[in-house]
Amino acid sequence: MLEYLIIQLDDTSTSYCHYKIGKKERRLIPLEMLKAGIKFGMLENLMIQFVYPDYKLPDDYAEAIETIDHSKIVSSLCENEVLKAEADVIIFHEWTELSLAQLDEKKSYVLRTAKADLFDRYLFLKDVISKVMRLNIVITDVETFTEQDFEKYKQILHTLSEHIEKEYAAGKAPQFNILTDRMMLDKMNNCNAGASNITLAPNGKFYVCPAFYYENEEDSIGDLEHGLDIKNPQLYKLEFAPICRHCDAYQCKRCIWLNRKTTLEVNTPSHEQCVVAHLERNASRELSDNIRKHGTFMLEIDIKGIDYLDPFDKREEW
Amino acid sequence: MLYRNPKSWQLGIARTITFIVTKDCQLACKYCYLVGKNISERMSFETAKKAIDYILGHEDKFREESVIFDFIGGEPFLEIDLIDQICDYLKTEMYRLNHHWFNSYRFSFSTNGINYHEKKVQDFIKKNASHVSIGITIDGTEKKHDMNRVYKLTERGSYKDVVKNIPLWLEQFPNAGTKVTVSSHDLPYIVESVLHLYSLGIHEVNINVVFEDVWQDGDNTIFEQQLIKLADIIINQGYYKDYACSFFSENIGKPMDREWDNNNWCGAGKMLSVDAAGNFYPCTRFAQYSLRDKKALIIGNVETGINENLLRPFLTLDRCTQSPEECLDCEVASGCAWCQGENYDAAQTNTIYQRATAICKMHKARVRANNYYWNKLFRKLELEGKRDEFEKNKKESNPTIC
Repeated sequence: MLEYLIIQLDDTSTSYCHYKIGKKERRLIPLEMLKAGIKFGMLENLMIQFVYPDYKLPDDYAEAIETIDHSKIVSSLCENEVLKAEADVIIFHEWTELSLAQLDEKKSYVLRTAKADLFDRYLFLKDVISKVMRLNIVITDVETFTEQDFEKYKQILHTLSEHIEKEYAAGKAPQFNILTDRMMLDKMNNCNAGASNITLAPNGKFYVCPAFYYENEEDSIGDLEHGLDIKNPQLYKLEFAPICRHCDAYQCKRCIWLNRKTTLEVNTPSHEQCVVAHLERNASRELSDNIRKHGTFMLEIDIKGIDYLDPFDKREEW
Repeated sequence: MLYRNPKSWQLGIARTITFIVTKDCQLACKYCYLVGKNISERMSFETAKKAIDYILGHEDKFREESVIFDFIGGEPFLEIDLIDQICDYLKTEMYRLNHHWFNSYRFSFSTNGINYHEKKVQDFIKKNASHVSIGITIDGTEKKHDMNRVYKLTERGSYKDVVKNIPLWLEQFPNAGTKVTVSSHDLPYIVESVLHLYSLGIHEVNINVVFEDVWQDGDNTIFEQQLIKLADIIINQGYYKDYACSFFSENIGKPMDREWDNNNWCGAGKMLSVDAAGNFYPCTRFAQYSLRDKKALIIGNVETGINENLLRPFLTLDRCTQSPEECLDCEVASGCAWCQGENYDAAQTNTIYQRATAICKMHKARVRANNYYWNKLFRKLELEGKRDEFEKNKKESNPTIC
């Protein structure tokens, strides 16, 4: 069931996920199209998330946006300081930017990082995790992970897990997507692009997510004039994903765009996406067990021990 | 000299590896799914060698107990010199590497039969005697055969050039079956064609209707009538004792459980095909020359190997995930087959997860005729007190579809 509408306000709107922004020239969504998009969201009862470019929008755009309850996704590089202060989520694309930023303990942040930078600078994250309400890590080249990378990532998760355990022992409850989300979940909580959320691009057409728009503008799933037209819509749902529906790495993004990029099917994740998600899952299990040494914690969530990192390897048992 | 029955060898435990040695063929069959045949894409020995080196060098990825090296085209025997060279190299390398497939392999061919008698082909058969399997495609009577299986330039029927080689083929492969394909306009000739093939000495007729969306209103009725007529003749004249026709199977036409009958039917992804460009495919049907509307689905090549991520959708595909609700609720679902390549080609998006249902009415007609066949046959056998004997000796046909 659709719940969210993401509106890309401009072709240069910030990326908040795995994809790169595929366009360099500004193309602001026409005001009437923006209003039509907002109306579509109201009629379909969708929560709207606006994704902003780095430049200041005209006042009449800001007025239109304020006509509906919404979330604001804004880059740390945005020149509009007022907007950044109002943002619900701030996106960092550079570690240096993050290290220089004034962080707000009541805000959520996303750090988009290549694996190499994460592997080099992960210790810095301890400080960030302690300062903010929530930090999400998005590894932008997860499809390139090698066996050595998996091992390194496992070590990183272990190190950061020790820090989070100390925070919990001190009475805090930091949110760090790759370690703490799974501890709280008893069912899949994925991106769900194409199933529970869709994107309206500046050209007035709908896409499964912004990544699909940047990859191929022709790959739309409808437009404002004619409505939604999602072909094979069932394939975006968990029940129609043979690997994922058997999986309990509930925190996995299950990125539909990465699925298609790596396996050519929107419902099938790559080996790399599965192993990374399971390393996080297993680290969450360890963290959860360790937090419980300090007191009662989420007893209703039982993360079982498993002997695999890729559920695909267990397909004969399904 | 007698050779082994090709069809059922190591069924289920053999890996099929297909060399698309040429995309050329003497014929231009009207129902052929190979829409992009051409004379330029001929495999070089260098490409074949690289494919073999990759496959035999990665025993961990090819663990099946046995292997069927399948050679197709176009018409594979147009490249008999290359095939001979490939097979020699395969044998030498399997021996040199002490590969687990040595002594558990077959060379398999589906041919139009036109140059079956030629010396080079016959020399190859003799040279590889105990390891070769050959199926010749003959569609039935001259009339039916020549309606579809015509030479590409002259559109002359090929029946006479094929049928003259059937005695030699049956002498060498007495248990061999032939594969018959039925499309819309040749439906009225099913009965005479199956009986004609029996009369040629072919005891096993593996026959199927095409998966493509070619069916017209009323075709299902013609199909059902033909099958009922065929059933009467097979039963009344006793053909059922020694002959098989794959249209009649006891196992079709039952509802299927969503949980227990959820396996994928098609073997795409468990097979491997390689073409002249050195590209790997999950099945030949995903090569560009087989596809009408979609881009080839390439899963690797002889230089870089197989991209395992691209095999994941094939190896986790199941019946229910790809089938529409009407198929899942179908009361006569069992035996209704599909071709993964045709599903991909016909799908609304670039997916193998959308089952094409063009044969729905034809399957239902087949089920009705099957019910008639088995009710009539079993009653006859029971009245004659021969049911038990039949069950003990009955001849199974192969579920040949591709």
